[in-house]
Parts: sequence; structure tokens; C-alpha cells
Amino acid sequence: MVSPAIALAFIPLLLTLLIRYRYYFVLFYRAILVRIWKDCVTGLSREERAYQYVLTTATPGDPDSILDAFDVWCNKVEFISNIGPKKGKILDRMLMEQGPLTVLELGAHCGYSTVRIARALPLGARLYSVEMDQRNAAIAEKIVRLAGFDDDTVELIVNPSDEVIPRLRSDYGLDRLDFVFMDHWKKSYCPDLQMLEGSGLLGKGSMIVADNVLFPGAPKFLRHIRKSGLYEWKIHRATLEYSKGIRDGMAELVYQGIK
Amino acid sequence: MFILTLPLNKHSVHVFTTGVEEEVSTLQEESERGGHRGKRRDSDRERKRRRKGRGKVASKDSGEGEEELQRRLEKRERARRKRAKKEQEVQGRERNEEEQAEMTSGKRANTRKNIKNDKTRKMEEGEGEGEAGERNTKRKKKHGSAKNDGKEEDGGEHTVKEKVQEVKKKKHEKVRPESLSPEELEKLKEAVDERKKLIQSLRGKPWPMKKKLVTLRESQEFVEKYEGALGKGKGRKLYAYKVMMTKALMGRPYGSIPRKTVPRAEETSAMDFAVLWDCGGYAQYSVLFYGFYNNQRAVGWLKFRMPLSYFLVGVGTVAYSYMVVIRTMARNANESGVGDDNSFNFSWKMFTSWDYLIGNPETADNKFASITTSFKEAILEEQESRKDDNIHLTRFLRVLANFLVLCCLAGSGYLIYFVVRRSQKFALDGLENHTWWERNEVNMVMSLLGMFCPMLFDVISALENYHPRVALQWQLGRIFALFLGNLYTFIIALMDEINLKREEEKIIKFNITMWETSLYNGTVSENSTAPPVTIQPADVPRGPCWETMVGQEFVRLIISDTMTTYIMLLIGDFLRAVLVRFLNYCWCWDLEAGFPSYSEFDVSGNVLGLIFNQGMIWMGAFYAPCLPALNVLRLHVSMYLQCWAVMCCNVPQERVFKASGSNNFYMAMLLVILFLSTLPAIYTIVTIPPSFDCGPFSGKKRMFDVIQETLESDFPAWFSKVFSYASNPGLVLPFILLMVLAIYYLQSTSKSYKEANVELKKKLHAVNSICFLLIIARTFMCF
Repeated sequence: MVSPAIALAFIPLLLTLLIRYRYYFVLFYRAILVRIWKDCVTGLSREERAYQYVLTTATPGDPDSILDAFDVWCNKVEFISNIGPKKGKILDRMLMEQGPLTVLELGAHCGYSTVRIARALPLGARLYSVEMDQRNAAIAEKIVRLAGFDDDTVELIVNPSDEVIPRLRSDYGLDRLDFVFMDHWKKSYCPDLQMLEGSGLLGKGSMIVADNVLFPGAPKFLRHIRKSGLYEWKIHRATLEYSKGIRDGMAELVYQGIK
Repeated sequence: MFILTLPLNKHSVHVFTTGVEEEVSTLQEESERGGHRGKRRDSDRERKRRRKGRGKVASKDSGEGEEELQRRLEKRERARRKRAKKEQEVQGRERNEEEQAEMTSGKRANTRKNIKNDKTRKMEEGEGEGEAGERNTKRKKKHGSAKNDGKEEDGGEHTVKEKVQEVKKKKHEKVRPESLSPEELEKLKEAVDERKKLIQSLRGKPWPMKKKLVTLRESQEFVEKYEGALGKGKGRKLYAYKVMMTKALMGRPYGSIPRKTVPRAEETSAMDFAVLWDCGGYAQYSVLFYGFYNNQRAVGWLKFRMPLSYFLVGVGTVAYSYMVVIRTMARNANESGVGDDNSFNFSWKMFTSWDYLIGNPETADNKFASITTSFKEAILEEQESRKDDNIHLTRFLRVLANFLVLCCLAGSGYLIYFVVRRSQKFALDGLENHTWWERNEVNMVMSLLGMFCPMLFDVISALENYHPRVALQWQLGRIFALFLGNLYTFIIALMDEINLKREEEKIIKFNITMWETSLYNGTVSENSTAPPVTIQPADVPRGPCWETMVGQEFVRLIISDTMTTYIMLLIGDFLRAVLVRFLNYCWCWDLEAGFPSYSEFDVSGNVLGLIFNQGMIWMGAFYAPCLPALNVLRLHVSMYLQCWAVMCCNVPQERVFKASGSNNFYMAMLLVILFLSTLPAIYTIVTIPPSFDCGPFSGKKRMFDVIQETLESDFPAWFSKVFSYASNPGLVLPFILLMVLAIYYLQSTSKSYKEANVELKKKLHAVNSICFLLIIARTFMCF
């Protein structure tokens, strides 16, 4: 039997771990424990609860107010891994600079980033938003329509990204993608990027933005962009959405083509 | 007893053999009566000595008994020889042989002594043996001359054979060459050489062929047999050297006297791993610890002053360490006096960050990127340090952080004190009744606290919002305080234990005197001459020996420290790296860049660990003389292990600071540690009297009395007189005053030099700017 004194000697270690990784513990609590609890209590999914909140508080037809409502809900009530206000501003700036006409969004989730991108698009631009999950896609649809974007601006595709990308050219008649925003499964970042390269939709100057490359992180994706030499790239360092202490980054890639 | 193989000189060999046999039989009965007979020959001097040394009595007598026995044997031998004389042909050979036999018996007695080593407890045996050796060599010389005198070749050869025979016999009795004395080994080697010579010159001998062949076969067999056992050339010399040095420097071997023998009660468990791991059993009575060393004033034929040199080495190492540390500090101060690491951060980065050994474009790109990032970070840092928002909050946080750290220090100190007290309770109960965890509690707790508290400090220091360099210094200071506090708590608790042991020692000492007198009385009643009892050294009761206890504690501390380091290396670095590396394929977030990631290699922490390790060695080396050797071993192993760990499972620190021997910050720390760790050692040496039955200073009032003793007995009288004058306070105080004044003078001169330096620098700046102005002016004028 281990004596109590030795157990007491482990207290500093415990304290250290608790303090050092406090943000991760908080995140675990908010994103998982609270979610499970609320799922059990309300019988609704997290996205549906968020939608209800947005519906009751935000002004219909006003994208800003919808985004604000989301931010408030995610900060105060529960945690949803949207892109968040801080990284969203970076995204807005890039969109403003680029002025893309054809935008592909992988992973719409519940429509926060879709609204954000659609808000910053120039006139006549079109956003293709891909979402795999049926229920999330339904909510995203409602949110987008609530924000006042019609079918011409935002088209929601309910399918896994690896099925959609090869058919973009044939089914949707796309020649070139000016801007791609990735925020779906982190594991699919790398294969989807390779698929995009293979499809020939990326031209010189096309921009690809990938969220959450450091946390939860997409190491294979980073390794690929480092090695392939097809891109000019940088990582915008920031913190994880709705959390102060967890470091995260957003990768910005500009396709250069084969030199 | 041995196989008779010599065809030549059968009669002499026969005589020889029977002589030996009889000798053995007589020896056996002699050894029973030896004490009584030896008593008769005791001189006054020896009696006095016996009274002085507690355990000497029986052994002394038995030793003398042996001498007496030897003399008697020789007589008997001679008588036998006379009877056998009729059968002999050559008269000259007889003398030769007789000498030979004499020598053999002498040597037998000698060997006998060796065998009985664990039975006899004579203190001056080293000297006695030295004498025996001298006697033997003298004999040998005589023998050699006799051989030369021998007219016949045959006779000479006979001598060789005889010698060989005798040596062979010895070999049969004692199988290993290790058990032979150096003289015997020397003889054996000589015999082998002579055999070799014989083989070489055999062809030219005017002998019948049969004899030649037989001699050749035998000689070859002999050479083959013993040359291997002895080892050849250098190795043998080294071996002989080793044996000589042990004899000459270490005094009596293991198992010869009580302090070098495991007590009877512990013998059964003395070789158990658990016991050895706790530095008990055989380890406790080994060279590793203070208690092993004998208080015999001079050892061996070199008259090696063991206690004196023990003391001087202990003090000398500390003095030498002081010298080295201070000299290094002075040199560093000279070298780094001009430059300042903290300012000119950007120009350092600008002009010195490129690595000119890079030959690979990709590496160059990486280096470029890393320099750029470091610039960005440095700029950010600078901005951060210039910005001061809400000074009150920062101050409050700093005070709070220090408060938390103090709490942590106090808590860890109390925990260690508590644990040490508990361990004393366990020791009183008997350690066998407790689990391994409880027995090793103190060391475990100390190592764990030493490992985890710095991590906590690191986390707490995030509150303070200092510049990283300042933060590092605070951090190091705190770790320093922690280690030092822990070490001193440990030592204070040890002091309590020492006092306990000394109480125990008093009781045991009393008991031992009772025991001795009872022994003495018992024998007196039976026989009025002397106590004949031969007590095994293992049976002699002994004191607790607090010095060995202190040494054991330190060795245990070092061992557990090492173990904790290795285990943390394995778990914290290696296992973590393996998990991070291979779980990364199937984990839901990036383990390498995110949450656990690889561990950083903490340079400054490791340097601090080294410093404290050194402190522990300084503290414990006096009571565990082999501790530095152990530490060298440990450091080597941990160097390679950590090198491997750094290469395969660590990532470099985000911020790297200079942490080398050229940094006076660390050297100053080392100096403080040196001072603080010599304090308790010197305190114990000066104030606590040494144990009465173990260690080189046993029987003295204080350990440093050994110096006085040497002065009195080894130096001429005028020297001790001079010394006593020199140590007179009237002479010492002015000397100290003079030294202080000299230091003050040097200090002030160096200060003025420094000022002059600064002045010169200013002037240089001024001249530079003037030159610059002139150049600019001239350029303008040219236009």
C-alpha cells in the first residue's frame, strides 16, 4: 500500500496539470459534459438548441445580428466549434481582399460560417456549401435563409465532401474555384485538398483557407502543404474559438500551380 | 596431500612430505593449545597493548602461538632430518634442503595465518605480515646464494624442483592465486621462470635421454599449469601491484575485524537484494562507508596513515572545490566584464544568428524562417515589456504568486519533516515490519517534491507577467530555495537521528564492557594465564555507528534521485513521445502540436539539478567515501541516457537561455550550495564525537584530533612547537586582519580600474562620434 505521504507528494503535480491545462478541462466540460447533459434533458440536438436561441433573439434578414446571436450563445451557453468572431474577422479580411466569385465551403455545420462568407461576398458571387449531416444541413439551410441569402447566392449540398468534389465540374458546371474554406472533419483536410488539386478546379491565385489546423489539428494536411510546393502558405495564429488559452491556427494557402 | 611426481631425489621428497603431514597434524593440536603456550612468551609491551585494544586479546595470542609453533616445528623437522641423514648421499644438499624446509614451515605458518584471518583479530597484523615478508625475502636471498654456491649442477636443479614442489603443494592446498600472499606469488613466478629456462637449456645438458625427456615433460606441464593461473607480463604485474596496494593502503581485508564483518544476526539476509538496495548487509560493511575503515594509525610497510589521509582528503576536496569554483567565477567575470548579454538584443540577433555551416537550401530556408520568427517574437516581447497596464494588479499578482510559492515551500518542508520523523518511528519498530513504500518514503517524497514543485512554480510564475529572463531567474531562485529547504529539513531530521544513535551507542558501549569483562573473568577462573577464547568478528557486539548511517542516507538519496530521474525520463519523455507519435494517427486532435506534445528539454532546470547533485555529494562524501565514484558512474549513465532522450523524444525549449559554465549566475549558485553543504558536514565533524568502534577516528574524542596526533608523533618536536605558536590567537587574529585589509585593497583597486574602463569607453564613444562627424563633413565638402 502506498503511504499517504507519497500520495501527498503528487499534489504539486496534480495542481500543475490542473492549472496548466485548465482551458482544456473547461473545453471538455463545455463541449462534452454540458452537451450530453442538455441532450438528455431537452431531447434536442445541440444545433437545434442553437437554432432555437438564434430564432428567438436575432433579427431575421440581418446576418450580423444572427452571427452575434451565435457568438453569444456559444460563449455563454454551450460550445459549438464555429469559426468564431476573431478568426472570422481574418476570414472576412481575406474575402474582401480576394473578392472571389466562386466559393466552396466544406463543412457548413449549422450555417455560421456560411452566413459569414456569404455576407462578405461581392455581388454575383456564388457559394457552394457542403454538409454531410442531414440534420445539421437542415438547420444550416434555415439559418442561411433566415439571414436573407437566396438560392442564387448560397447553394447547400448535402453529401460527404469526398463525393462532392469529383462531381463539382460535371454536376455543378464549375470551371474554377476562387476560394475554398475548409472546416469539416480534420482528417479529411488532406485527402480533400489532394482531390481538389487532382480535379483541376484550382487555378493560379486560388485561395484555400483551413480552420483549426493546430487544434484539433491536421498534421497530415500541414505536412502535405509543406512538401507539395504548390502553395504559398502561412498560418494565422489565434486562439480556439470561444476559448482564451488554447492556441489554434488558420492556414491560408494560395495556389501557385506547378512552376 | 599432494601427488608425488618427482622421480629424482625420492628420499628428500619423502622426508619433506612426511614432515608436512606431521606438521599438519601437530598444527591441529597446537591450535587448540596455542593460546596457553603463547602466553608464556608474552612480553610486557604486548600485555599493555592487549589492554588497550578490546578485541585484540585472543588473536594476538594465537598469532604468537603460531610463531612458537613454527619454532617447535622446525626443531622437530631437524630431528627427523637427522634420523634420515644416513640415507642421504650428498652432505651439501642436506643444508640446502634444510633451509628449504625451514622456509616452507615458516611459510606454512604464514599461510596458516592467512587462513585464520577471519578468526584472528590482531590489529597489527599488517605490520606483522610485512615483517614476515621481509624475513621471507631474506631467506630467499640466502637461498639464492646457497644455490649459487652449489657446486653441482644437479644440486642446483634439485633446488628448483624443490621449490617447485613446495609451491605446487601450496597450490594444491589453495586453489586460487588470489589467496596467496605477494611473496608466494613472487616465488611461484620465479619457479615458472626457472622451469622455462630449464626447458631452453635442456638440450645442452649432459644427461641421459630418459631423464631429459621426463624433466621436459614435467617442466612443460608445470609451466602450462601455473603460467595461466598467474597471468602473464603486465597483467600479472598489475595484479601484484593491486594486491600490494590493498595490503599497503587499505589495511586488513573484509571479514578480519568486527567493523569489517557482517554481524552474525544479519548474516542470513546480508546478500538479499532488498537489503543491499537499502545499503544494508554487505554494502554497509564495505569500503563504501565510513564505518569500514580501521583506526590503525599506519597501514602496511608503506606506513600509510589511513585516518590522517581520510581526514585530509575529506577536508582537501572541499577546499579544492572552493578554489575551483571561485577561480572559474573570477575568470568568467574577467571575460564577461565588458559585454552585457541583456542589452543589444536586436543587434546580437541581427549579426550573429546566421549559421554559416548550413549547406542545404531547405535548411537555409528553415533557418531564415526561424530567424524571422525570433525577430517578430523579440519585437513583441519588447513591446510587451514596455507596456505597463495596471501596475497595481501586476503588483498584487506578483505578491500573490510569491505567497503561493512560499506556501508550497512550507508545505514541502513540512511533508519532508513529517516523513523523516515517521521513518524514525519505523526504524524503532524494526524495518522488516514495513512495506517497501514505507521504508523508502523519505527518499521518494524528496525526489517527487524536487521534481513536481518546480513545475508548479513554473505555472505560478505565469501570474507574475515578468520578462522571460527575469522570470527564469525568479524560477531558478525558487527551485534553489526548495531544494535547499528540503535538504536542510532532511539534515535537521538526520541530526535527531544521530542523537538517538548516540544514546543507543552509550548503552551498547556499557554492555560491551560488561560482556568483555565477563569473558575475561570466565577464562581467568579456568586458567590463570590468559583468556584463550577466539571470538569470531561476526559475533562481537557493536555500536550503531552514526557516521555510516549518515553515509547510507546520502547514498540512498542519490540512488533514489537517480531512479526517479530515470523513471521520469522513461515515463515523462519516452512514453509520452511514443504515445504522441503513434497515437497521432488515430486521435481526434493533433497530439504533436497540441495538448500533450513532446516534452521540452529544460536546460536551466537540468543545470540546477546537476548543481544540487553536486551539493549532495559534497555533503555526503565524508561519511560515504565512495559516493563521488558512485556519482561519476551515475552522471555518465545519465549523460548518455539524457543525450538519447534529447535526441529522440524532446523538443528544444521555446526560449533558450545561456546556461553554461561561463555564466556566473550558475557558478554563484554552485558556490552558495558548496558553502551550505559543507556547513553541516563540518558541523558534525567538529561537534560530534566519532563512534567508538567504527571508522578511522574511533577511539578519539573528536575527528580532527588525528592532526594533533600526527603532529605529536610523526613530526619532530620543534615542528609541533612552531605549530602551537602559529595557532596562537595572538598570531592568527593579526593575520586575519591583514588578509581582510588585503582583500579590501584589491577590491578598491579593481573598482577604480573598472571606473577607468568606463571612462575610456566613454572617451572612445566620443572620439568615434567626432570621427563620424568629420567624415560626414568631409563628404559634404567634397560635393
